[in-house]
Amino acid sequence: MRSKIKKNHEFFELSKFRRRFMLLVLLTLFCILFSRAFFLQGMQKDFLQQEGFERSNRNIELYAYRGKIYDRNNQILAASETVRSITMEPNRVEFKKGDKNKLANLLGIKIKYLNKKLKSKRNHIYLKRKVDPKIASKILALKIPGISTEKDYRRTYPDQEISAHVVGFSGNDGNGLEGVEYKKNDFLSGTHGYKKILIDARRRVVDNLSEVSVPVDGKDVHLTIDKRLQHIAFQSLKKTINDSEAISGSAILIDSKTGEILTMVNYPSFNPNERMRTRSPFVKNRVITDAFEPGSTMKPISIAAALEKRVVNVNTKIDTGNGFYKVGRTQITDTKPHGVISVKEILQTSSNIGVTKIAEKLSKKYLWQTYSNFGIGNLTGSSLPGESKGVMRDYSSWKARDHFSASYGYSVSTTVAQLARAYTPFANKGEIKNLRLFKNDPIKIGQRVLSIKTSEAVLKIMESVTEEGGTAIQASIPGYRVAGKTGTARQFVKGVGYGKPGERKYNASFVGLAPASNPKFIMAITIEDPSKGSNYGGVVAGPIFRRVVAEALKIYSIPQDEIEIKDETDNEKKEI
Amino acid sequence: MKLNLILFSLLIVFALVKINAHHLYRVNHHALEIEKRKTIDLKDEQNQLLIQESSKSGNGRISEYAKSKLKMNPPEKKQKRIIK
Repeated sequence: MRSKIKKNHEFFELSKFRRRFMLLVLLTLFCILFSRAFFLQGMQKDFLQQEGFERSNRNIELYAYRGKIYDRNNQILAASETVRSITMEPNRVEFKKGDKNKLANLLGIKIKYLNKKLKSKRNHIYLKRKVDPKIASKILALKIPGISTEKDYRRTYPDQEISAHVVGFSGNDGNGLEGVEYKKNDFLSGTHGYKKILIDARRRVVDNLSEVSVPVDGKDVHLTIDKRLQHIAFQSLKKTINDSEAISGSAILIDSKTGEILTMVNYPSFNPNERMRTRSPFVKNRVITDAFEPGSTMKPISIAAALEKRVVNVNTKIDTGNGFYKVGRTQITDTKPHGVISVKEILQTSSNIGVTKIAEKLSKKYLWQTYSNFGIGNLTGSSLPGESKGVMRDYSSWKARDHFSASYGYSVSTTVAQLARAYTPFANKGEIKNLRLFKNDPIKIGQRVLSIKTSEAVLKIMESVTEEGGTAIQASIPGYRVAGKTGTARQFVKGVGYGKPGERKYNASFVGLAPASNPKFIMAITIEDPSKGSNYGGVVAGPIFRRVVAEALKIYSIPQDEIEIKDETDNEKKEI
Repeated sequence: MKLNLILFSLLIVFALVKINAHHLYRVNHHALEIEKRKTIDLKDEQNQLLIQESSKSGNGRISEYAKSKLKMNPPEKKQKRIIK
């Protein structure tokens, strides 16, 4: 009985067959697992590791900010602002009813264009770049699957067209294309960085991997421009050009002691914030790029040359005759006959014959050397791109006509910036100053081109130009002594020459210094072809000088000169 | 045997501490990344505000507001009187 009853352990004991079968199954399973492990870790190692890296590692670009451009009072002229770029994953996009139209309207694109983009086989495409953040948030509010936004940066110019020519603009890639943006591109643009990060299953950044490149932000640029005066100069220029129906105009205001450029404006201008800016015909900074024959604004330099050489003095009398004077085959005329007048009166009345007779006493070489010393035919030092040197041929190639015509501003051409610089010796006791646009540029020591006595004498004579009987009374500023010189030069048109009387085009210019007692500001203005009303430099450009420099004197708290102030109401009382 | 047990327990404890430290590092790193992103956003906002300030304080805009809303106009020649 007992032998038939199985013991407890015997009851659970497997049969030999079962035992072997199970062992075989386990061995087979182990072999399968082992071979799978071998396959994955041995043969597929690289592929799987790559897949793992791609899922957990990310390369992130670290944005380097482009430097800002400031004016002399730390007011922003150019900076980068945040915008959004709208991206799309075509495979994931599903539009609800009406969403497609809404999206196209918000982005300002056509449905056709959107449909074309939807057919794209790429996983990630840009629908529109640099979109206003408000529009981007409206698009996100539509909650269209597959449509998302990315942070982007756009260059913004708060001053719009006022400082457009000086500041310039940059392209979509962030690189400067014009003006300071172009000139200082290396300085302004930083170096973007990147880093490799590790993300977890919830897409949280949990670690930095070894490869990190630190971004280096671009540096800020500080200009010598004064935004307040820039605005006044631009508005004055705009008003004058519109009133006189002129083609264009340019003006520059400088600090005569340091050569710092305070304003540099052109009209017509362009808005650097608009995308079509590069197609504008007014992109050039004509203050430095366009050379023109300066006309009578050259006369103070010619007279300074003669005074320095002592071939005349301020009171020397010169016979300008009946307003006509022939040199070789060239007829030189004055606007009216002046008869016998002093050197001072020659400048005051802007007599071409008088200056020609003075130039006759000087050699070609000496005149050429003087103009060259005054910066004619040389760069101004503003270091802006595209600056023209103007045209001044070597004296050896001058014909007899050039010798005389150069003395009253023909046969040579200058830019507006060169003209302003050429007047700095009269404000600095004979020292010429280089122009400076960047505050951090070192101030260069001025170069003496005139004696103190001559520079003071010419300055004194130029004061008479803005006084009663002068050609630029419109440029006078109440409470201050103003010196200056007008210029009304005929335009030379290729193939046509200077044109017949009645068909001629003129450049009306004025260069002024204030206060004449100790000049702080020099402003040069030129207006191209004023066709309505007068075309004289004093009448057209003089008021711009008056408006801008009067404000500059006020803003910079320059004390008034001790002169008698006329009460304008007195005249009105007398009239009554 | 006793020493081995103690060493084994210590090993387990240290391993757990290491795992916990690593976990804490990742949590803190994530928090740091969030703060860095906030810094960048604030920098962007600061730039935006500077641009806004610059465009809103522009002379053109001020003179336009002065003329249109405050009815301020520069005095005409007849309205000026210079006091000696």
